[in-house]
Parts: sequence; C-alpha cells; structure tokens
Amino acid sequence: MKKYSQQEKLFNFGISFLALGAFPLVWFLSQAILFRELTDLISRNMLVVIGLLVGSSFVFLLFSGMERLIKLAPRERRDSLEARMFAGPSLFMIGLFLFYPAIRTIYLSFKDRYGTSFVGLENYVWSFNDTEMLVTLRNQIIWLVFVVFFTLFFGLIVGWLTDRLNKGEAFFKSIVFMPMAISAVGASAIFKFIYEYRPPPLTQIGILNGIRVSAGENCYNNRVIDGSLKDYADSSCNRAIGWLQQRDLSNFQIGQNLESASWLDNVLVNLPLNTVLLLVIMIWAYTGFAAVVFSAGIKSIPTDIMEAGQIDGASELKIFVSIVVPYIKSTIIVVGTYMVITVLKAFDIVYVTTRGDLETNLLAVKMLDEFSKYRNIGRSSTVAVLIFICVIPIIIGNTYREKENSSI
Amino acid sequence: MKKSILGLLVILSMIAVACGGSSLEGEEVFITGALVGNDAAGFQENFDSFTEETGIIVSFQGSDNFEQEIQIQMESGDTPDIALFPQPGGVVDAAKRGYLVALEDVGVDLDEYKASFSEYIVGLGTVDGVAYGGAHAFNLKSIIWYQPAEFEARGYSVPETWDEMIALADQIVSEGMNPFCFGMESEGASGWLATDWMEDIMLRTGEGTVTYDKWVNHEIPFNDPVVKNAATLLSQIMHTEGYVVGGTDAIVSTYFGNAQDPMFSKDANGNPGCFMHRQASFITSFWPEEAIAGAGTETTVFPFPAMDDGLPKAALGGGDMFAVFTEGNEAVNAVVEYMLSPTFFEAAAQRPDNSRIYGHVEFDSSLYSKDITRVLADAITGALAENAFRFDASDLMPPEVGAGSFWKEMMNLAVEGPGYIDTALNNIENSWP
Repeated sequence: MKKYSQQEKLFNFGISFLALGAFPLVWFLSQAILFRELTDLISRNMLVVIGLLVGSSFVFLLFSGMERLIKLAPRERRDSLEARMFAGPSLFMIGLFLFYPAIRTIYLSFKDRYGTSFVGLENYVWSFNDTEMLVTLRNQIIWLVFVVFFTLFFGLIVGWLTDRLNKGEAFFKSIVFMPMAISAVGASAIFKFIYEYRPPPLTQIGILNGIRVSAGENCYNNRVIDGSLKDYADSSCNRAIGWLQQRDLSNFQIGQNLESASWLDNVLVNLPLNTVLLLVIMIWAYTGFAAVVFSAGIKSIPTDIMEAGQIDGASELKIFVSIVVPYIKSTIIVVGTYMVITVLKAFDIVYVTTRGDLETNLLAVKMLDEFSKYRNIGRSSTVAVLIFICVIPIIIGNTYREKENSSI
Repeated sequence: MKKSILGLLVILSMIAVACGGSSLEGEEVFITGALVGNDAAGFQENFDSFTEETGIIVSFQGSDNFEQEIQIQMESGDTPDIALFPQPGGVVDAAKRGYLVALEDVGVDLDEYKASFSEYIVGLGTVDGVAYGGAHAFNLKSIIWYQPAEFEARGYSVPETWDEMIALADQIVSEGMNPFCFGMESEGASGWLATDWMEDIMLRTGEGTVTYDKWVNHEIPFNDPVVKNAATLLSQIMHTEGYVVGGTDAIVSTYFGNAQDPMFSKDANGNPGCFMHRQASFITSFWPEEAIAGAGTETTVFPFPAMDDGLPKAALGGGDMFAVFTEGNEAVNAVVEYMLSPTFFEAAAQRPDNSRIYGHVEFDSSLYSKDITRVLADAITGALAENAFRFDASDLMPPEVGAGSFWKEMMNLAVEGPGYIDTALNNIENSWP
C-alpha cells in the first residue's frame, strides 16, 4: 500500500468532506433558501419554470465544479472520491427525509398531544389499553395472517397450475395479474359496489345484496314483470345486508346455528365479517403478483429434477410439495416478506371503504386519525412507532438471510 | 422577442408600482377551507365585488382534506392568511396552540360583531375571553323533511310535539309502512346523524339550552339521567320495530346523503319508503336530481317537534368559522372586516345551488335564491334572538369525544339495541379527556 504524504491526506480529507458534507448542504440549502424567498415574490407557474431551469443548472454546475476539484486528486484516489461525490447528496437526502423524521417520530411518541411536554410511556400504555387500539391491533393481526397466507397459497396454486397448461398460460396469468394493475383505491371502489347496501324499497345495486334479495318466491329486485313492479319488501324475502357493517355473524342463519357451542364455534360466530370482506380485496389484488413471481421461480426449476420425480412415480401433489415448494423457498420468503410489509402499511383499502368504522380500523389509518381527527401528535407518533417496530424483525431477518445466501 | 417580453414586464411592474401608492391594490390574501365544488365557487364569488372596490385579490382554495392539511400547515408554519374551519372546534384548538391572531388585533370591533352575530356565536370561537373565530354561514339541523302530498293523501297531519310524532309513526307502522328514513354511514364520521338527534332532543328536554350547555362543557356527566333520557328516546326511534325503513342495517350502512332516497322511491304498493327524515338543510344537495327541484314545495320541512313544556323554540345548527393567521397585514384586516359585514354573503346567496345561510342579522334574506332557504334562515335568526340557537354539540366537544367515542358509541348503540344505552354512555363518559 502506498504511503500518502500529510498534504495528500489533508487534500483527500478536504475533498471527502466537501463531497459528503459541504456539497450536499450547499446544494440543498441554497435551493431551499432561494425558493423560500421566491414563493412570495412570483406566481407558482413562474416558480416551476425557474425551478426547472435554475435547479437543474445549479446541480449541474455543482457537480461539474466538484468534478474539477476531484481531477486535482491523485489518479488512484479519484474513483472513490467520485463515488463519494455522487453518494453524498443521496445520503444527505436519506438522512434528512428518512432518518431525521424517524427519530423525531420516536421522540414525539413520548410527548403529549401537542408535542410540548414529556409524558413518558403514557402513549404506549394507552395503545395497549384503549379498546379501539386493541381492536385495531387485532385487525392488523387478522390481516397479516389471512392476507399473507392466502396470497402465498393462491399465488402458488395459480403459478403451479398455469405452468402445467399446454397453452394459454400467458393469457390466464395476465388475467390473474390484472388486479395488480388497478390501484388499491380503484379496487376498493369496485368492491365497495359489490358490498353496496341500499335501504328498501330502492333497487339493490350491490351484487351480493342483489343476489340475496332476489332469492325466494315472488322476490325480485324491483323488476317490472308483466307491467307490475316486483320488489323484495315482502316479509318472506331476504333482507339486504350492510356487509361492511357486520362485526360478527349474528345476523346470519349460520351464526345462529353456531351459537352456544364449543369455543371454536364461538370464534366463528365472532368472526369480524367486515374485516374479512375487506382483506379479501387485498388478497384479490396481490394474488396475481405472487403468482407471476412464483411462476418465474417454477420455470427456473431444472426439468431433469421434475422428470426424475415423475419417473420415480411421484404424484403431482408430491412433486409440488417435495420439489417445487422447497426449490422456490427463497422466492416464497421474499414474496412473504413483501406481503407482510405491504399489509403493515395497508391504508388505502380501509380508508376508501369504511374509514375504520365499526371495528375495521388498521394501524396506518389509526395513525392518521390520531393526527388529523383527534389532533394528538403523541399518540399518532406512537402508532407510527408501533408499525415501525413490527417491520424491524422482518427487515433484520431478511438482511441475515441475504448474508447467508451471499456467503454460500 | 425576448427583449419585448422583458420590456413589457418592466412597464407592467412600473404601472403596478404607480397604481399601488398607499392603497391595497394588488395585495393578495389567501384563504383555505373545507368548502369544495359549488360552495367553494360561491364563497369565491363573494369577493368579486370586494376585489373590484379595493383591488385586493382574494383567492380561496378548498380541499376535502382541509382538516389534515391545516394541521400540517400549522406545524410547518406555512399557514394561509385566513382559514375557514368547518367547525368552531378547529378554531379553538388552533387558538389554544397559539397559531391564531385575535380578532381585535385585526381591527374587529367586538361589540359590533356580537351585535350582528349574537354573543353565543362569538363565544364559540373564544378562548380565555379572547375572540378568535369569525362567524360565517350556517345550516339548520332541527328540521324534518317530509312530502306534504303524501301526508295529505293519507290524512296525516304535521306533528307539533314529540308525542304526536310517535303517534303518527305508530299509525304509519300499523298501516304497513315505515315512518322514518335514517342513515348515518359517513366515511370515518359515521354516527354523527345520531349525535344530531341526541342534541335536538337534549335541547328540548330537561332545562333545554341550560342542560345542553352544561352537557357540552361536561358540567354534567355523559351518563347523567337527562342524557340517558335523550338516548332512550333516540333508541325508541332507531329500534322500534318498523320505525326505520330497512331497520338496523339501513341505519348503520346507508350513506347519510342517500338516506332520504327511499322517500323519493315507491314500493310495489305505491307507498314511499319513508315519510320523515331528520336531516340538516344541506341535505338537498345530496338528493336525486329529479327531487332537488321540489325542495321546499314537493319535499319540505317541519320543525323538529317540541318536547318538554315551557322551553323556547330551539334550533340546532352547524357551520363554518374562520380564523386569521396573518397579523399586521392591512389587506387581511380589510378582508376580515368585509367577511363580517352584512353584504358579504350576497353573491353566494343568489346562486341557485346555495343552501347555506349567512349568520349576520342584517343580511337581506330576500336575496336567497330558494324560498326554503329563507324559511330556514328566519328560523335561525328567530332562535338566535331568543338565545335558543345552539351549535352542534359534537363539534364543540373535545375531538376524542365529539369526533370519536360519541360517534362510535352511537353506531354501536344502533347495532346493539336499547340494552346497550348505559354501556354506550359510560364509555363516552370514560373517554372524556
């Protein structure tokens, strides 16, 4: 290793400091100050134009200036300095927009509703005692278990089955994948119509209620037959049901049958139907994604392993369980991890459909509610920290797994 | 080409400087609020004549997410000059946190303000004796919508007391129909319709406005017998078999804006789905297109029936309240003065889609585009004169209660039935911060 002279060391340090500290700071502050001053002086449209011109040319000038400085450094050091120059601003930005808010959120979670005085662990005590928070946590767990399990399950089945098709694989896969292309808000809006309820005598436009009230003699969903209107207000007809407002199954025949039996029946009777109906939306939306990823994994299984299994007389199920699943294990874990994080962040479905009414809330929505509805900064931060805590083990587990993989 | 644009800019700026002088010409005032669509357009129109006169440019930006956005803006210090809060609670909260400028500091004469909007209204936006909230437009909630033609055809008369209303409801049920429309699903605010019912009953039972004010300020507990009585009466409406069309499912699952649709729709026997719907004056903008034209004629209102004897005719309402963030700006002061003047709401009132009622006593109510609005406006000013006008209690209670447990427990009460009344009230009482 070559020894650097004191002067060279200083020079290197100077450039590194400029690249990692001073440069991003100048870059960020100059523009922040410039635009802060400008907002009051000129119209918004002008500001956008100036922002595009000045902002980009400023970045260009700074980078080219840095480039010149680096050219002064000894040749063998240039690569690492250049890397620092480009990494510097991004690190700075991540620090400013990710680490700083995260630490501040943790800090605020120990403060009161206005974020002024410390309350210790009070917010955390609240979050595990408040009935609404407990219901929210319960829902979050139900979502985690059901959504992750069923997306993986259906994804595997679809991925496997489409792979066995002789033709039309792409067609079927794209159909299953289609919901992925719809935004979660759009998907929720679609399902909101499926679950739609209207008071009688209005025509039921939700498909579930439409089917429900048309069952039985003389029950038609406001159809005109032979010139006379046939409705469903008859007492022999089924009532329409507000699906997203059912907190348990007590409104259904099945619920009444199950009542007063073993603990399992008890669990089933108390099944929060509305939460389940909501998480179905997410399963529907993400099954396609899982299927496509799994299908790619299945395609990478060498044919000779499969053929060996077939020659040995293994059934399709046996091949699936003993060859396919172990072979794409790492893919399953990746998709599973992704789903867990997605569910923990799940917000849009509940926000669009019930907005957390009647025990359907999720942590992400609750966080927003505490902030904007109840104006409680401390509690809102606490909920945010809880979500963060839930994600940490998964991130750590994933990092370890990556390390193991790369060490092999 | 470039030169000529530059030259034009120089000339324009010179003109602006020359015209400016000591007047407020060209000053900009920025207002945000929760109004969107027609209401926002109407609000902006109010400033047209003002801008013509003074040269102050007022721009209003409404947003569905105003309540969240203003929180973020206050935290970050990027507030508008004036914000139009959908409830006085927002003003009080912002004032307590020190973000607002007192009305006196922007040149409002408090005595005059009290005289033109009533002391009660001014008090809603007051914190520790300092007034922060500027009154704006209201809506009337103490009304029940019905269709006179349907009533006449069946020989029903408009009930004037609660007992008459219950008797009428029983009669309608015995004739195989449903008296009430009731739907309180409201995307995160579900339950407020039931709290409105409770408030209307509270205003008309016990000592009327006295108990009401005590209740709002938590001087009596939420499980006080008076409150329990109100909840029991509400439960009578919600849970008596056949009273509400569609029953419990309809109450908790129907979007409040669609709740009245059964009234406009006939079943196989030609009967409307319901006959009475208690809902605020703004509900007309949610009606089906063909029904809107008949507002005030085909479908009109009777006042919420009287209950206990000897109480004045009370009116329950809700409405916006504005607050000022910018201090020491002449243009903002001029806008505030204009917003509290009797001529302020003229442009909006004349719009055919307006259903909002301006609170100023000197406002010329003949300007309202619809007859029904005039009737409602008179009811509000009448109640104000008797000091029997009260603001929506849930908007005045702490948000954990008014926008939290009160709504939530009303939803639970609707689902669980009358046996749940005590639990509901106890839960709300315990949640009071």
